[in-house]
Amino acid sequence: MTALVRVVNVEKIYKTGAVAFQALRGVSLELAEGDFVAVMGPSGSGKSTLLHLMGGLDRPSTGRIEVQDVVLSEMNETALAKFRRTHIGFIFQFFNLIDNLTIQANIELPALLQSGRERKAVRRRANALMERLGILDQARKHPWELSGGQQQRVAIARALINQPTLLLADEPTGNLDSKSGQEVLHILRECNAQGQTILMVTHDASAAAQARRVIFIRDGRLVEEMPGEDVQRIAQFMITLTET
Amino acid sequence: MLAVWQKIKADVAGRPFISLLTLITIVSATMLLTLALATLLNLSAPYDRSFATLNGAHLWLYFDRAKVTRRDIERIEALPEVTESTGIQYSVTGRVKIGDTRVWVSIRDTPLQPPRVNRLLVQEGRYLLPRQNEVLASRDLADLYGLAVGDNVGITRQDGKKITLPVIGLAYNPTWDTYRNTQPPYLYISESLFRELYPDSTAWEWSLGLRLADPEAVTETLARIEALLQPDAVRSHTDWRDVKRSANFGARLNFILLGAFSLFAILATVLVIVSSISSFVLSQFRQVGILKAVGFTKAQILWLYLGQYLVLGLVGCPIGLALGLLLSPLPLRNVASALSTTFRPPFNPLIVVLVLSIVPTIIAAATWRSARRAAKANIVKAIATGAEAPAHKEFWLPRLAARLGFSIPFVLGLSDVFARPFRSLSTGLNLLIGVVGIVFGLTLNETLETYKANPYLLGIAYDAIVTRGITPDSKVRHLLARAPGVTAFYGEYRVDVETPTGETFQVRAVDGDVTAFPFRILEGRAIRPGTDEVMAGQGLLDWLELRVGDELTVIVDGRRNWPVTWRIVGAYTEPVNTGQMAIANFSTLARLLPGESPSIYYLKLAPNADTALLKRYIEPKPESDLNLTLAGQAIPGVVVYLQLALFALSGILIGIALVSVFNTSLLAVQEKLRVIGVLKTIGFTPAQVLTMVNTSAGFLGLLAALSGLPLGWMFTKSVLAALSKTYGFGAVEVTLNMAYGAALPLLMIAVSVAGSYLPGKRAARISIVQVLRGE
Repeated sequence: MTALVRVVNVEKIYKTGAVAFQALRGVSLELAEGDFVAVMGPSGSGKSTLLHLMGGLDRPSTGRIEVQDVVLSEMNETALAKFRRTHIGFIFQFFNLIDNLTIQANIELPALLQSGRERKAVRRRANALMERLGILDQARKHPWELSGGQQQRVAIARALINQPTLLLADEPTGNLDSKSGQEVLHILRECNAQGQTILMVTHDASAAAQARRVIFIRDGRLVEEMPGEDVQRIAQFMITLTET
Repeated sequence: MLAVWQKIKADVAGRPFISLLTLITIVSATMLLTLALATLLNLSAPYDRSFATLNGAHLWLYFDRAKVTRRDIERIEALPEVTESTGIQYSVTGRVKIGDTRVWVSIRDTPLQPPRVNRLLVQEGRYLLPRQNEVLASRDLADLYGLAVGDNVGITRQDGKKITLPVIGLAYNPTWDTYRNTQPPYLYISESLFRELYPDSTAWEWSLGLRLADPEAVTETLARIEALLQPDAVRSHTDWRDVKRSANFGARLNFILLGAFSLFAILATVLVIVSSISSFVLSQFRQVGILKAVGFTKAQILWLYLGQYLVLGLVGCPIGLALGLLLSPLPLRNVASALSTTFRPPFNPLIVVLVLSIVPTIIAAATWRSARRAAKANIVKAIATGAEAPAHKEFWLPRLAARLGFSIPFVLGLSDVFARPFRSLSTGLNLLIGVVGIVFGLTLNETLETYKANPYLLGIAYDAIVTRGITPDSKVRHLLARAPGVTAFYGEYRVDVETPTGETFQVRAVDGDVTAFPFRILEGRAIRPGTDEVMAGQGLLDWLELRVGDELTVIVDGRRNWPVTWRIVGAYTEPVNTGQMAIANFSTLARLLPGESPSIYYLKLAPNADTALLKRYIEPKPESDLNLTLAGQAIPGVVVYLQLALFALSGILIGIALVSVFNTSLLAVQEKLRVIGVLKTIGFTPAQVLTMVNTSAGFLGLLAALSGLPLGWMFTKSVLAALSKTYGFGAVEVTLNMAYGAALPLLMIAVSVAGSYLPGKRAARISIVQVLRGE
């Protein structure tokens, strides 16, 4: 398979005054097109930092990140924003929907930001996504009127509206009950089955087990990789990682 | 309490930018309040101040030279009521030439050493020097005839020879009254020059200035003096209280406008402090939730914020107070200038006490109100949504904008205004203060412009005046009837009258049709020629407690057997003598004034009259005894100078409102940071973030302008109306150029966008990760 995302020897250092904290230490990683990768690790291990860098939300201190052969760190703010808009979809633990927009408006927002997109086509695409995710009847409601699971479906629909190259999910089930969490994971697996490349950060072994492969990260370094089918093995390794 | 104090210190020092903005708001609001109070408390102080400094005379007596002796003067000076005297003041009344104009003046014998009583205040140039042929001129000659230091004045000596003397200074006399037609302006020359020009001492007029033990006992002292002397030995007198009233009357437009400004400034101070502090406290709602979660009680939350803002108030109030005191001469300089004096408000402990109690009280009240709301909030809700959850209702305007195809950032910017109405209201309120301030300043300025362009609003109903010397009245009338550009004229003879109960005042006895002149009639109508009607100044009606429709009976020239009775048909704005004058037909007095005829003629000119041609026609030769003065020269300098002060004061006010707009914009953007982070995540560019923020700000600016325009206009109109009534000015014509009305919304959008630009730019650049980590 062709590498869709390349993370090459990336380091990330956060500086607060005189104190420096190294979040990532020489991480290298590749995601193929259609891949579904789960990233696991203890708190503060650097997994969210890796996701932010891959989504162009932040820049690496050293190293290179390429998405579809485009080097993110070489882009300016505006170009990066446009790239994110068209190539990256984000799903967050706390949904991050815009409170004063309806569900439909939230979903359509990234598409309407792009010039030249026909409004009707955007509406058709949004409706199709809402129907697929089972929230079409909620279209005219506002985020606070929906349950957590429904809000996360809206966030997924928003992330998918522009048919992104890469879908990044940061603890997508972390704020949901188990039933809603399972439904969200099911949706993600379905998306992946249709060819969507996904990178998901999670603490939950059962969630990670939905991925094709799981990579483990500790103290800013990749320490292990394994296929994502065996929940027991993933959970066991995670316990080991946390305790040692 | 230790925990609260530690948190206060941490908040004040840990957020230096927010602390600085709060401090700036407190300093500027305190400065404004100090300025306003200093102005209000000292409005009438310039006169008192200059009178005290110059040791002005309380009573000035003008004698009939034939009926008074040096012994009489000594007896007056020896009266127990009299504490000090100027000694006999010698003068000669005559006409001098100032430029092309011949002017009646009183030429005064002046000591080379400034006297103890009634000193002169030299405002430009210098005082008289020994053995110099030079004159020191009354400041009013500069205002009326454009006389300046360095100009020459042509004087006719007693022997008929003409000499020219240079003007070396302009001076203010604290007891020279402003009844210009009764008491001509003064020209001061040295004792030696006076004696050289007018050697015949029998032709000298005598006058005397007195300081009294009881300054309020002028009337009683005058009665005692008159009892000492031959009947009618005192030809006329000046009461210092009349001079003060008259001087303050001349500056009453100043009082009205500066009073209005001060009242508005006090209101703005309160609003700026309240809205800024409320905004700051409410922006910290999440923090309040967290503090309550870790165990802070409601009382501790209240003390935390009260402590923070009172600490900042403790630093800011003295700085603002000092700046305000430093700037306090600015508004009053104009009043002082209108009174021909200079003035710096004295240090007034009352202002210090008022400011240092009002500002902290407002700070405490505003903080208490907001902090109490925060302290009472539900912890979970406060942490989750901050001060204000977004409004649930969707508004039609953003929807319409979306349908019309406006860009998403624009639509979101509009939507945000309605989503957080309380925050929008707070920002809008600050913008509104700015708009009302601008409208206030512009309206005051336009009003002044209107008064400058229409002197009749100040009671100056004529375009020009002609005075005559020896030329007979009939010849002047013949001349004026044919004069180029003159559309109407009437003659005036000014006569002193007395009511049966003893009140004395002056009547303008007019000969001609005054209906062609735009007198500012406050009630009723103008008199018709040949009738026994009278038009009274509002000041006279108030004084005599008369109304339009009443009869007015007066005694003319002491002829008690032939009282004259007029019917009052109108009240008008009388620009001089505190409005205590009346206009009647000369024909009703002619039988009592045999041989007298008008000596001043008021002219109405055609709109494009050639005034130079008219001047040449009226004064064909340099020695002509006819004089033409244009009304433009009669507009008080007060109106002109006041503009500068108003502009400066409005500028300060608007500046303070802008600081406040910046504060609230910054806080509004800070509260939106999470949303901005999310929007950037899904692809908003920095420019789109800025567009969104600026749209919200610009829309609020537009709303503020549209509501502030009528509000400001109505506010200005009502404040001016109330104040003008207080000062007996009659209704003030309030005007506002509509072009300003059209430009103001654009200006406010620009101002508001400018206020939010920096915070928006900062938000557009903010790291998304930083925002998301803050969740």
